[in-house]
Amino acid sequence: MATPEEVAYEKFLERVRRTVYIDELTPLATAPVISSAFNQFGTVKKVSFIPNYLGPKELPMGVLVEMENEEMTQAVISTVSQLPFMVAGMPRPVRACAAEPNMFVDKPKKPGRTVRFRWIKPNDPDFDKARRVKRLARKHSAENSFMLKKQLEEAEKLSKQQAETAVTHHKKFEMMDKLLYDGVAQKLAGRYDLKGFPYR
Amino acid sequence: MEESVVASEGLEFKWGKKKGVGGKKKDVQFYESFIYDGDEYRLYDCVLVGDASPDSTEPFIGMIIKIWEHANKHIPRKVKLLWFFKPSEIAPYLEGVPDVLANELFLASGEGLGLANTNLLEAIGGKCSVLCISKDKRNPQPSDEKINSADFVFRRSFDVKHCKVVDTIDDKIAGVDVKFIFNRACSEKEATAAQNIEADVNGNSDSLKPNGPLASGSGRKIEDNHFESSDCKKSSIGCIQEKEKGHYQLATKKATVAEERSNKDSGSRGNHFDGKAQESEVKKQLTKQKSMPAEERYSNSFEASGSRIIHSTSRKAQVNDVKKQLTKQKSMPAEERYSKESSGLNDRPLKKQKLDGSVTVPDGRNTTLLQNITSDGKKDTGSFKRPRDKVTLEEVPPEKRSFVKKRDLGVSVSEGKTTKTVTEKGLSKKPSFGRAEDKMLADDNERNYQVTEVCRRPDAGKSKWFRSLPWEESMREAEKKGTVVLLQNLDPTYTSDEVEDIVYSALNEQCEARMIERTSVTIPHVGEALVIFKTREVAERVIRRLDEGCLLLSSGRPLVASFAKITPPGKPSSFSGHIKLHKTQTRREMRDAVATSHCSQPNNLEFDMAMEWCLHQARHEQASESVSKRQLEEMKLLRINFKPKLP
Repeated sequence: MATPEEVAYEKFLERVRRTVYIDELTPLATAPVISSAFNQFGTVKKVSFIPNYLGPKELPMGVLVEMENEEMTQAVISTVSQLPFMVAGMPRPVRACAAEPNMFVDKPKKPGRTVRFRWIKPNDPDFDKARRVKRLARKHSAENSFMLKKQLEEAEKLSKQQAETAVTHHKKFEMMDKLLYDGVAQKLAGRYDLKGFPYR
Repeated sequence: MEESVVASEGLEFKWGKKKGVGGKKKDVQFYESFIYDGDEYRLYDCVLVGDASPDSTEPFIGMIIKIWEHANKHIPRKVKLLWFFKPSEIAPYLEGVPDVLANELFLASGEGLGLANTNLLEAIGGKCSVLCISKDKRNPQPSDEKINSADFVFRRSFDVKHCKVVDTIDDKIAGVDVKFIFNRACSEKEATAAQNIEADVNGNSDSLKPNGPLASGSGRKIEDNHFESSDCKKSSIGCIQEKEKGHYQLATKKATVAEERSNKDSGSRGNHFDGKAQESEVKKQLTKQKSMPAEERYSNSFEASGSRIIHSTSRKAQVNDVKKQLTKQKSMPAEERYSKESSGLNDRPLKKQKLDGSVTVPDGRNTTLLQNITSDGKKDTGSFKRPRDKVTLEEVPPEKRSFVKKRDLGVSVSEGKTTKTVTEKGLSKKPSFGRAEDKMLADDNERNYQVTEVCRRPDAGKSKWFRSLPWEESMREAEKKGTVVLLQNLDPTYTSDEVEDIVYSALNEQCEARMIERTSVTIPHVGEALVIFKTREVAERVIRRLDEGCLLLSSGRPLVASFAKITPPGKPSSFSGHIKLHKTQTRREMRDAVATSHCSQPNNLEFDMAMEWCLHQARHEQASESVSKRQLEEMKLLRINFKPKLP
């Protein structure tokens, strides 16, 4: 016999299993865009954005997409892992993985767990240790924000590089098209006596 | 008669034992073995065959099931290979298949495309050892050390017609009796003796028609220049050493030949990457290391065109493999750099500490110290007059120094200039609390440190007749007032309600809390929460109490608090990684495709660019993982026992 707390928690876990966590999404994407994108895999029940309160502004967005059932979730994850799936812009693909309980802000309390606490005296030998732990915690979060910053810089660089090459390719193809269209290519082919030149 | 032909590349070649003749005009000669470039290859040996596309590092593995040559010397020598699949090649069909080992292969079985191919004999790139570890009764079980020393193992097969993994191995695969596919029961010496006894030139032992092998018709074309990766090099050396040389053929050159051959191979990308990664590790330049392989891969991927889907997924897997090599070495300098950087952060507060020290020594009073620190004009100098206890005077300077230190680290966390003034303001306000605060602190310190349970806070704080504002709004409001506090080092499985309860029970303050969700950018093993207090003084008091005392939670972590710096609302105008072409440059269909979402197919530029992004993402995942692992270990070292030790 389960307490109502446990029942609620079970329901929550079931919901977690049906949800996909999508990352590397553009912050410009809106809920309808995302739901139409993932409706290709199955019915999307809910789209919830994960707000970015502490990270830098350019951080890609994270979204929790709740599907109808677990198979659809699996389908989403396996397809997105194998082929790059692009939402609302190309070519940066999104990333998908199974959702975890910690990703939900409205998760219910885990049943049967109570939090306890105590203050530590300054003359307790653990006090110093606790201090160091606190310092370490701050250091870690500093490290992480630094790493994040670096990652964003790299992403910027990559995207600039790709934008340049995309423009170059476009120019190249345009030029080729133009030549064929103008008849210049054909004339040259005739000049060099190329047999079987296409587009004749 | 045995011919000794020097192949076009100067690699030595010699036929071995003949097997029989076939063909319509009896002009095809089948063989059982041959010596190529110093290695002896026999029927049913497993070989490595290089991949034709320019940017793959992994060779294919096949088992020789036929060897022949035409009487007409202009038709090149051929072998028929029965393929083994690597898990990366059949990844989509591996769903639900248990226990795929790292070096496990799948034997091709069934009928259809991809089962076996005819290739030029010169395409063979080396030998490898593939051990069958199937528990089938017909299979002689290998010893454990043989399993560990084998290059690859296999126990299941992959049916190419139905595209499914099959656990049992049939009696005949590709016309080859299964006993040749299983491990050989007899030793090498016996095998050669048996071959010696066999019929010679005009024997009719070969019942297989030559027409079969000549019809190839599948996509695996191999050029003469075969590629070898560093793995292949190692395996060929290992194989040569392991196989007994009991054969009656003339003594072949040993491992040196194989090494020479692999060294002369220019196109081995695996070596290329390793070398590059190593040399840049020495240079310890993060950016150079990453951008160079990225560019290489980019330029090479443009040359590859029209690759099949399987091929591209294998490329993705290779991307993963390469990425692993790269990031392993890259994340180490990354970590060193981070630690360098973070120690750089630590240096700043140390300097500040010295400043404090130098000031307090002559004065011995904290008030002037504070005057020096607060640089902006908003100090309340009037409130500094209150003297402090003698007792706390001694305690407070060392505490203050560490307080300052922590504050500074808090500053670097928030990455803002404004918060610096905030914390300084906080510092200046601190002595204004004066005696009352000190007393409370002293109370804290002297309270009997029993373990207290967190109880649900009363709802008195929440007014029942107002509809509570949504979190976002109240947070922005609170930020303006400066009452938002960031609590760190929580257990990530706490809920917002639990955090509110903790704050109430431990600090006797009402608040609104929200746990920050775990995303791919947050540290997985700690949790954080944003807490809104009613007034600024409350917030400061809480921060001070948590800084100077240590509140230990049952998860063994002391709570860390600081003022929160929240990202201003609003979205960036563009997302890096999404390329915007002019309207004139795109056709309507493409614009539609871009506006909606789609999966990219591997036959266009978009796919290649997407692959680069995948590489970028995977690299960062790897780096984050290693950093968080290290952090977890560091935390573990300082783990505090929750139950207080009885005095």
